[in-house]
Amino acid sequence: MTVALSLAASPRRRRLPAALPWLLIAPSVLLLLALILFPLVFALKNSFYFWNLQMSPVPMGYIGADNYRMAFSASFFLGALRTTVLMTLVGTAVEFLLGLGIALLLLRNLRGMRLTRVLLIMPTTIAPIVVGFLFRYMYDPNGGLIPWLLQSAGIPLPAAGLLGSSSTALWAVLFADVWQWTPFFAIVLYAALLAVPEDVLEAARLDGASAFKLLTHIKLPLIRKTALIVVMLRFMQLFNTFDLVVVLTKGGPGASTRTLGYSLYQAGLVDFNIGLASAMTWLIVIVVNAIIGLFVFFAFRDLD
Amino acid sequence: MARSETFSGRAFGYLAMLALLVVFIGPIVWFVLLAIRPADTFFAMPPVLRFQPSWESFRYTFVEPGNNLPQLRNSLIVAAGAVLLNLPFSFPAAYALSRYRLRGRKHIMLWYLGLLMAPPVAFLIPYSILASAAGLKGTYLSMILIAQTLTVPFSVWLMRSFIDEVPVELEEAARIDGGGLWTILTKVVLPLVTPGLIVTSMFAFVFSWNNAAFPLVLANRATATLPVGTLQYFGTAGVTWGFIAAAAVAAMIPPMLIFLVLDRYVVRGLTFGSVKG
Repeated sequence: MTVALSLAASPRRRRLPAALPWLLIAPSVLLLLALILFPLVFALKNSFYFWNLQMSPVPMGYIGADNYRMAFSASFFLGALRTTVLMTLVGTAVEFLLGLGIALLLLRNLRGMRLTRVLLIMPTTIAPIVVGFLFRYMYDPNGGLIPWLLQSAGIPLPAAGLLGSSSTALWAVLFADVWQWTPFFAIVLYAALLAVPEDVLEAARLDGASAFKLLTHIKLPLIRKTALIVVMLRFMQLFNTFDLVVVLTKGGPGASTRTLGYSLYQAGLVDFNIGLASAMTWLIVIVVNAIIGLFVFFAFRDLD
Repeated sequence: MARSETFSGRAFGYLAMLALLVVFIGPIVWFVLLAIRPADTFFAMPPVLRFQPSWESFRYTFVEPGNNLPQLRNSLIVAAGAVLLNLPFSFPAAYALSRYRLRGRKHIMLWYLGLLMAPPVAFLIPYSILASAAGLKGTYLSMILIAQTLTVPFSVWLMRSFIDEVPVELEEAARIDGGGLWTILTKVVLPLVTPGLIVTSMFAFVFSWNNAAFPLVLANRATATLPVGTLQYFGTAGVTWGFIAAAAVAAMIPPMLIFLVLDRYVVRGLTFGSVKG
């Protein structure tokens, strides 16, 4: 009734101007552009200058592409890229597979499973830097819990400790990351699997499908999109990792845990070589953008 | 999971459940114990499980001299400030992206998402130097402002997923009643999406609370947030593990509580609203 009355009262229905939605979006986009473009332009300019912040508060001289040349020649960039890609690929794969296994377990109807699921996400809630503290304590070669457990199980350990030996340090850092983020995969994949219709599964079971076939032929294809999204998010976070490395190993020993993120941190905030750091910023931004583009193309092609 | 399970199947299930808790919750408990242990048991081998709990580490970090207490307050100011500043930017954008079929909408959404996946470390040096140049170094404002690069894109995504769930018919009815956009937004949409706004804000709070990278380069001694302040215990004569643990445990509690309260929305929050859960 009110609808009819008000229609009658104003025959020309008020139309919203077409620019309006853009006005609603604009403030956030402008704010973000300002916060992103300033630093990027700043870094682009300084990547062509020699500038050590300890020697001068302003750039110290134009040196062309020398910073970029240095980034490559010191195998700073390529070595770190290799470490980063290795860590990211292994980490994402392990976290996904473990998470999937745990998700299947969480689906089982056992007493206490709900509470387990609620508690399981706790590692993911912790700040990565704090996870770094936690594992540095647990890895301590003199009385840390992890070396003690491994030694009790008869596993020989490097004398310099798990974080102090170049053969184990990267895996020890990665283990901390796996500990923090496997629950993330488990919880999200659990939610996705929960939505798989029971009648579809029942039909396949009647056809004699094994549990493994059920997983690979029905469940996984049905949760494909969710899986892609979480893999993408985690892949990029792992690729950008640096705070965990700062706390656990500072890139060492040698260059064994020097990820891209950490080498950039080191160039700029430890060595104060702003020129080199700026060149690396741009190299990293280009690599990251390429990967994001690839992922987004596959994972969000059908985003509406 | 309607089929009946064998006894050994169930037994395996319970064992696996126990293993999960030991592996994923055990280290957290171990770290909390570190904060209340007497110092001579920090690295005792074999590990000491029975000890007289001591509040000395918490007392030292938060009461006397209490170096970490101002950092706790700083963390609160920065995270709360980041959430509050973020709302007027993200809510209108989320609304527009939910309600209007805009050309390029998908690309805008993906642009926000791309920002969430950008390497924070790449921006640390420029932010540090630019903040100094602008006279903002060490201020809460600089940290709150830079946190927007995380909170705004995150909130747009998550909030949009909540606004999508509010039936558009209610707004259309209000529009036909002659309501202007402002009236519709504040009187119709806002009350309906308030739960979503609260959930989004709480996750954005955690996001900002847990970010150590920006405060690392923007804060000074007086404005350092808790995770950054905890770093002070490294590098001095020996690492003072009890104090690190006490300060870090305090930093762990708010995000954990928020995740427990928001249990239903955890999947959605962690995937920026792209998985409903």
